[in-house]
Amino acid sequence: MLEIKNLHARIADEGTEIIRGLNLTVKAGEVAAIMGPNGSGKSTLSYILAGREDYEVTEGEILFNGESILEMDPAERAASGIFLAFQYPMEIPGVATMEFLKVAMNAQRKARGEEPLKIPELLKRVKEASGALNIDMAMLKRPLNVGFSGGEKKRAEILQMQLLEPKLCVLDETDSGLDIDALKIVSDGVNALRSPDRAVVVITHYQRLLEHIVPDSVHVLYKGRIIKSGDKSLAMNLEENGYAGIIGEAA
Amino acid sequence: MNMHVTPQHTPAEKALIEGYHARVGDLPGDGMVTIKRDEAIEAIKAGLPTRHVEAWHYTDLRRLLTTVPAAATAGNTSALEPLLAGSTVLHVSGGKTQAFPSAQGLSFMRLSDELVEGRGLAALGPTDAADTIGAINTAFVSDGYGVEIAEGVELSAPLELQNLHNGGQVHTRFGVNVGAGAKAVIVERQTGEASALASAITTLSVRDGAEVMYLIVQEQPKGSSHLGQFRATIGKDAKLTVFIMNAGGKLVRQEIIVDAAGEGCDFQLRGVNLLSGDSHTDVTMVLDHSVPNTGSREVIRNVLTDRAKGVFQGRINVHQIAQKTDAKMACNTLLLSDDADFSAKPELEIFADDVACGHGATVTDINEDHLFYLMARGVPEKAGRGLLVKAFLAEVIEELENEAVIEALEAKLDAWFVLHG
Amino acid sequence: MPAVQETIDQVRLIDVDQYKYGFETSIEMDKAPKGLNEDIIRFISAKKDEPQWMLDWRLDAFERWKTQEEPDWARVDYPKIDFQDIYYYAAPKSTPGPTSLAEVDPELLRTYEKLGIPLREQEILAGVKKPGHEESEDGVLADSESQSANGGRRVAVDAVFDSVSVVTTFKKELAKAGVIFCSISEAIREYPDLVKKYLGSVVPQSDNYYATLNSAVFTDGSFVFVPKGVRCPMELSTYFRINEKNTGQFERTLIIAEEGAYVSYLEGCTAPQRDENQLHAAVVELVALDDAEIKYSTVQNWYPGDSQGKGGIYNFVTKRGDCRGDRSKISWTQVETGSAITWKYPSCILRGDDSRGEFYSIAVSNGYQQIDSGTKMLHLGKNTSSRIISKGIAAGFSQNTYRGQVSAHRKATNARNFTQCDSLLIGDQCGAHTVPYIEAKNATTQFEHEATTSKISDDQKFYVMQRGIPEEEAIALIVNGFVKDVIQELPMEFAVEAQKLIGISLEGSVG
Ligand SMILES: Nc1ncnc2c1ncn2[C@@H]1O[C@H](COP(=O)(O)OP(=O)(O)O)[C@@H](O)[C@H]1O
Ligand SMILES: [Mg+2]
Repeated sequence: MLEIKNLHARIADEGTEIIRGLNLTVKAGEVAAIMGPNGSGKSTLSYILAGREDYEVTEGEILFNGESILEMDPAERAASGIFLAFQYPMEIPGVATMEFLKVAMNAQRKARGEEPLKIPELLKRVKEASGALNIDMAMLKRPLNVGFSGGEKKRAEILQMQLLEPKLCVLDETDSGLDIDALKIVSDGVNALRSPDRAVVVITHYQRLLEHIVPDSVHVLYKGRIIKSGDKSLAMNLEENGYAGIIGEAA
Repeated sequence: MNMHVTPQHTPAEKALIEGYHARVGDLPGDGMVTIKRDEAIEAIKAGLPTRHVEAWHYTDLRRLLTTVPAAATAGNTSALEPLLAGSTVLHVSGGKTQAFPSAQGLSFMRLSDELVEGRGLAALGPTDAADTIGAINTAFVSDGYGVEIAEGVELSAPLELQNLHNGGQVHTRFGVNVGAGAKAVIVERQTGEASALASAITTLSVRDGAEVMYLIVQEQPKGSSHLGQFRATIGKDAKLTVFIMNAGGKLVRQEIIVDAAGEGCDFQLRGVNLLSGDSHTDVTMVLDHSVPNTGSREVIRNVLTDRAKGVFQGRINVHQIAQKTDAKMACNTLLLSDDADFSAKPELEIFADDVACGHGATVTDINEDHLFYLMARGVPEKAGRGLLVKAFLAEVIEELENEAVIEALEAKLDAWFVLHG
Repeated sequence: MPAVQETIDQVRLIDVDQYKYGFETSIEMDKAPKGLNEDIIRFISAKKDEPQWMLDWRLDAFERWKTQEEPDWARVDYPKIDFQDIYYYAAPKSTPGPTSLAEVDPELLRTYEKLGIPLREQEILAGVKKPGHEESEDGVLADSESQSANGGRRVAVDAVFDSVSVVTTFKKELAKAGVIFCSISEAIREYPDLVKKYLGSVVPQSDNYYATLNSAVFTDGSFVFVPKGVRCPMELSTYFRINEKNTGQFERTLIIAEEGAYVSYLEGCTAPQRDENQLHAAVVELVALDDAEIKYSTVQNWYPGDSQGKGGIYNFVTKRGDCRGDRSKISWTQVETGSAITWKYPSCILRGDDSRGEFYSIAVSNGYQQIDSGTKMLHLGKNTSSRIISKGIAAGFSQNTYRGQVSAHRKATNARNFTQCDSLLIGDQCGAHTVPYIEAKNATTQFEHEATTSKISDDQKFYVMQRGIPEEEAIALIVNGFVKDVIQELPMEFAVEAQKLIGISLEGSVG
């Protein structure tokens, strides 16, 4: 489903290369975990997948369902099924969360040539998904992410993910700032989306989340490159021994 | 601005014009200098600015400047104890430059010599029709210092310019050039022993990578009119922090005109205005961000008692190419008397889009919750109020992050509160 | 809020040069000759059957105007106006003073339909021309009421077309409540005592250059009088349109709310697309007595000129409210998207003790528009309060200035003001400026002022687009969020409308 080949990317303004020859393949139905120390380029990779303009791809290719997405803008990528749950979700003052959900869902439907959702149907879907994520309807009346606690922001991200039904879900440190109960709720939310025609990329620091969302593959990202791949035992190994050993091996 | 020709001159205008014709022969410089002086007095003949000149909206100089003392100042003043211990002191007495101290990395010039030689002409003259301080000073300037801080020099002792007098009229200029990468703390004292009319212009150039803290302490005697102008340009990656304290004078206008002209430079302004009696004090700042990636922050705090009037005008101009400008300005005022009044005009003029600019202005009473808290801890109300007012001002001083400076300025605060608190 | 999607659709439909309301109506006009002199003023006064005192007032204003100078302090730049090259009076010929809709020229009514502005008054006016509903005013209204059964409130309308008021609806029902709502010309004839008492009492006859001109040549406008204790049973609305070439529109509006009265008044404006600039210089005076409240909302959408800055309306407006009574309240809400030049400062004089003034504003400029707008809050009484929320959005080559004054006088103990003034820049060819004057002459004053200027954050835009929302729509969404605090203050009908207009006005500014 997702194929990243020899990707090189740099910060557009100043030219610092952050992704330096990254290769990664994620198949439909697969849950891939990406781990790596702070500053290794995990968030950058997720932004590049989503099409953020701050980064410039200088070499390599990103194929989504066999087609290059490099020329697409963020909205087109989203409409084609790529969803990014942000490490730091942005606040959008004055725009009620409910309103935002509606606009986003209908924009994607429109891009796919579907009719906009009728209000009752929309409400029904939002209510169902919110209930499972323990999101209060009152929260949806508030402007998106404005004044939300860390946990509320993360749950709002998963709510959007569920409602938009993407093909590729990229979760950037969705576990950070969550207490154990919230972690469980959020993981259940992600697990509910697991399906044979959907891929999930989970970016995390800790083994903790991977106990709830069990990955099919684990990749270690370091200095803009995947330096080791394995199965879930690799994550456990990292938990016990840290990154030092693997980094040493690769060097 | 269409300056109308004012047919009838006020007594102050008359005194300035007549005084000029009587004195011009004795003022340093001739030739081009005299031409500049003549042009400047022509500008004054057109009339001092009224509130209809936008830059003087709250300081109607034509109405407020009621007396112009005779030019002569009586006898010499002796230099003061410097604000910061160990400072190198430059002393101007009654508009005459005194001795040059010797200090490493510093070189000095006497402004009157420069004028006699016909140098530095470009700096003379009003910059525009509203530059009345520039006009008055150009017409009458008698002396001052030029200071050069050599490239890369880190001054071990602060430099203090003392502009002192014994009444009369004093019109002086200081030019300070801080070489690339140099570091300096400079103090400017404006005070005297008898009521005077003073015009004082400082031009400061902070070259690339230099770092300057510049303190202006204005404590003119009662009844004085003080017209101050501070002009600075800041070079690439340079940093300028200006602190200004006004705690004296009857009619005070202090202009601060700064050009953040080098990429990556930073400008900080902190001000404390302690206004009492029936004084009128106007701090007017014009700050240009004229290149990309510059930052500035201005915080002005005012406390007014008696029948004092205070004014703060601050304009931030962000030029079209000055992307990524980060500029914030705040002006906070406590009115401690029903007869005091304060006006603020904080302006933003923004032509670049990728900026974060803002200003805030408040006029308030002290925070009742804080007062209540102090009283609940047994502090009597009057003392509690005093503490909070002082804290309100000390906050800005403490941001200067220089122990000696903070201590010296807080001592000034305390002294003012003893008299006016 | 369904408006967002609609906004986007509208944006797609409309080219930047295709000002939606820029068509001209071909109705025979009854015009006075071009130029300004005493005879023209006499002509206007005679046309309106005015009493001698009114004519004298006008002539007096004209004398004063001749001694005044055009102000130059605002940040607007335009070629000198030739006041002799303007028609000061133009009236649709067939309607010198219609008393019922049946008398209105059908062509004129079709104009309203063409406008297609989903302002509520358009709905009502469009309803009028339906076959079978023209017999009587009441019949028509009954029908339009049932038409708008989808939850809308009823709105009484005074429509001003070039120089004259063409039609005022709901008059009878309002009269039952004791509310007078009619054109100012009619008020001068029918209620001279009220007009004499209040006209010029808030905006003096020769207050400023444009207001004085208006005093001399105003041709029509609305008059509202809400008597003691009456809560006006419906929204009142005026709809202004300039149609004739080279005509100035000089309307004069006077609203009086007596003790304990309440009224909400809406104002909408459009003008056809033309190469020349047209002048609009209105005066609005509001008077609120003890415990009265007036809410005045404007959606200003005059023709802004084309993408090259050619044409457009010069909008020089003096609006002032006098909180004359204790505990009175006046609230101005404006959405300014049109006009080549806007010079407008709806203000409040807080004279009564415990009175309150509010100013909520959205000013959107694009193309070569220049806006210099803001408010004055003058605190005179004790315990007065005011609130200012201003949102400026500058795009294209436009200049957008907020200019405001808040002052507390010596005796105005406990004056309170809160001001929030935010500007958004879209593109690097435009300018946003903030010029507040804050004046406190009293130790008990509590003033808080805050202003910010920034661009739409790239982070926000990326986040919104990551959810599949295309760029233009993403910007419209973020901008609508930015102006939310003001939109909320508008009556429902206007709120939806205003959001659309903002989207349309910003069309072409992205990319
Ligand atoms: N827009 C940017 N500007 C400057 N530095 C950036 C930018 N984006 C990423 N970086 C730098 O790139 C490196 C990788 O960052 P990031 O992708 O956030 O790491 P991770 O998510 O793995 O902690 C860091 O050194 C970070 O500071
Ligand atoms: Mg990260």
